[in-house]
Amino acid sequence: MDVLDTKINTQSKEFKDNQKHYQQLITDLKKKIKQIQKGGGDKRIKLHKSRNKMLPRERIDHLIDPNTPFLEFSTLAALGMYNDTSPSAGIITGIGIVHGREVVIIANDATVKGGTYFPMTVKKHIRAQTIALENNLPCIYLVDSGGAFLPMQDEVFPDREHFGRIFYNQARMASQSIPQIAVVLGSCTAGGAYVPAMSDETVIVKGTGTIFLGGPPLVKAATGEEVSAEDLGGADVHCRKSGVTDHYAHDDPEALDITRNIVENLNRSPKTYLDVTKPEDPFYDPQEIYGIISRDPRHPFDVKEVIARLVDRSQFHEFKALYATTLICGFARIMGYPAGILANNGVLFSESALKGTHFIELCSQRKIPLVFLQNITGFMVGRQYEAGGIAKDGAKMVTAVTCAQVPKFTVIIGGSFGAGNYGMCGRAYNPRQLWMWPNARISVMGGEQAANVLLTVKQDQLWRQSGKTLSKKEEQNLMKPIREKYEVEGNPYYSSSRLWDDGIIDPVDTRLVLGLGISASLNAPIPDWRPALYRM
Amino acid sequence: MDLSYEYNNQLYHITTTKKDNSYYVTVNDTTYTLMATEIKPGHLKLTLGDKIIKAIISPGQEERYIFLEGDVYHVKRAIHTAKTRDTRDEIRSPISGKVIKVQAQENTLVHKGDTLMIIEAMKMEYRITAPYTGTVTKIHFKENDQIDMGVTPLELQKQKNTKEEH
Repeated sequence: MDVLDTKINTQSKEFKDNQKHYQQLITDLKKKIKQIQKGGGDKRIKLHKSRNKMLPRERIDHLIDPNTPFLEFSTLAALGMYNDTSPSAGIITGIGIVHGREVVIIANDATVKGGTYFPMTVKKHIRAQTIALENNLPCIYLVDSGGAFLPMQDEVFPDREHFGRIFYNQARMASQSIPQIAVVLGSCTAGGAYVPAMSDETVIVKGTGTIFLGGPPLVKAATGEEVSAEDLGGADVHCRKSGVTDHYAHDDPEALDITRNIVENLNRSPKTYLDVTKPEDPFYDPQEIYGIISRDPRHPFDVKEVIARLVDRSQFHEFKALYATTLICGFARIMGYPAGILANNGVLFSESALKGTHFIELCSQRKIPLVFLQNITGFMVGRQYEAGGIAKDGAKMVTAVTCAQVPKFTVIIGGSFGAGNYGMCGRAYNPRQLWMWPNARISVMGGEQAANVLLTVKQDQLWRQSGKTLSKKEEQNLMKPIREKYEVEGNPYYSSSRLWDDGIIDPVDTRLVLGLGISASLNAPIPDWRPALYRM
Repeated sequence: MDLSYEYNNQLYHITTTKKDNSYYVTVNDTTYTLMATEIKPGHLKLTLGDKIIKAIISPGQEERYIFLEGDVYHVKRAIHTAKTRDTRDEIRSPISGKVIKVQAQENTLVHKGDTLMIIEAMKMEYRITAPYTGTVTKIHFKENDQIDMGVTPLELQKQKNTKEEH
């Protein structure tokens, strides 16, 4: 394959200014993540440890193979929500490697509000199960939770995607032969009791692990019976009498060692074949991406310079290099895995959509995973383009993206606006994983455009009703709050806290993240491609 | 023959031509003249000026190990660099939009890479830059004008006798 050329001058002022700006973004990101990883804070951590319990991240470390990466999802969940009382939404999820095979791990953080489920906790738990379902990965629940966060019961209990969905998913996963293991390392109360009860194999820790439908206070209120938590639903009850749990552990490390033994005996089938080679670093330094991304989001950057710093040996086999140049398509390897890359290099036109559709179909037929590098301000608008049928060409691309059965991965490396988000495999199009860079922006349209559209609507309305027009000042008063709203809501942190993505990553880590994602996806077979109906 | 080799994370572009018994090898803009004979497969004897160099080359799949004066060098074949970029020297608007800034002035000299005009469309600012050094002879658009995609926004006459890099 050909090595991509570069035109970047790393000594230029432009580059250095961009780099400085981006390094600040990375510093902020790392600071936020570090803060969040403290969970419920020092006091709660101390209390937790005094009970001879490990912290959720320590449990994960103990569970996975030594010196293997843990691909954590949505670390920034619930950031800025619930008065910031729920770091990471009180639950750690991700993909780790146990006995050489990928598993999904879902671990409650009892230092955060007793591990209770806020709306975002539920969403994050369900998202992790979805990842297990889509990629056919075993799922390990490290349970330590008091169940639903009662003050918000209306937002976590009744609806389709609420608490009940967790158990619905467990049954569906079981029916698809996806192994599920529950490790009861703390409370497992009420609905939560179904997590171990619906798992294939369960482990419980004596003294700290308890499972019951109603805890001691509820029992006392209901029947007057007085009983301790341990006698009601501890390890001895469930391993010797009820049969709700299968394996008895004396402490967290022992429970996690037993869990590893369970995984060792899962007899997983081999992964899907993909033509994999030895991973090799890009020829150009990925750190240079910091200087390539313009510090002003209004200034375009050449995405080929970015691709050159993401793919193995910077080698890229470009498809239709001279046609519809605002969408770059081509084949490359990421950490040795073959990938079909679609990357925006400007606005989408009819031709770009057609080129994209063609390329997606190529990858679908060859069963090559797709990687979307999203930096899109939208499909081109205007009379000429509407008359040219851009709506039906855009529709083709959206259809192709939807129907592609190969694993899809999306990284939002710049803007994500309007229908461009759809064509480039936004969250609604089921990418296996969707990541954001800290410079990303996401909204239905730009703030300036939204403010102008609403202003025009308001002006027309006023003119019809009273024949009056707005003064310059009134116009500004109307537009300012809209601009501000879009600025806040378009921020990647706003997105990540609401799980519109799977996390914000440092551009330098993108290769690794995509490599781990593709590797995990190979646990599921790639179905045959069935083309949809295109409006011609 | 054009070759690209990777060594120590540096890319070296090499052009070789053979004339009579000599080879002319250009490495990143410097040309060396040398004579070469293969003593036995993989063993080379090179004469560079008054220096005689012996090298042993052992090939891998896409890589070569070169034993030279007691050291081992590991180089990799980088195939050739993609030259797919459109390098035509045209000035055209990349998009239909509004001219928000005209930075060039008529009858003035501009240098390659200078920003001449900025066009705004679809939330982005597109910079029209000079593809070569020259004199702006005519500017067809002023600020706030609408411009269509593919239209020439200004005329730039290439400076003659320039030692400009390409």
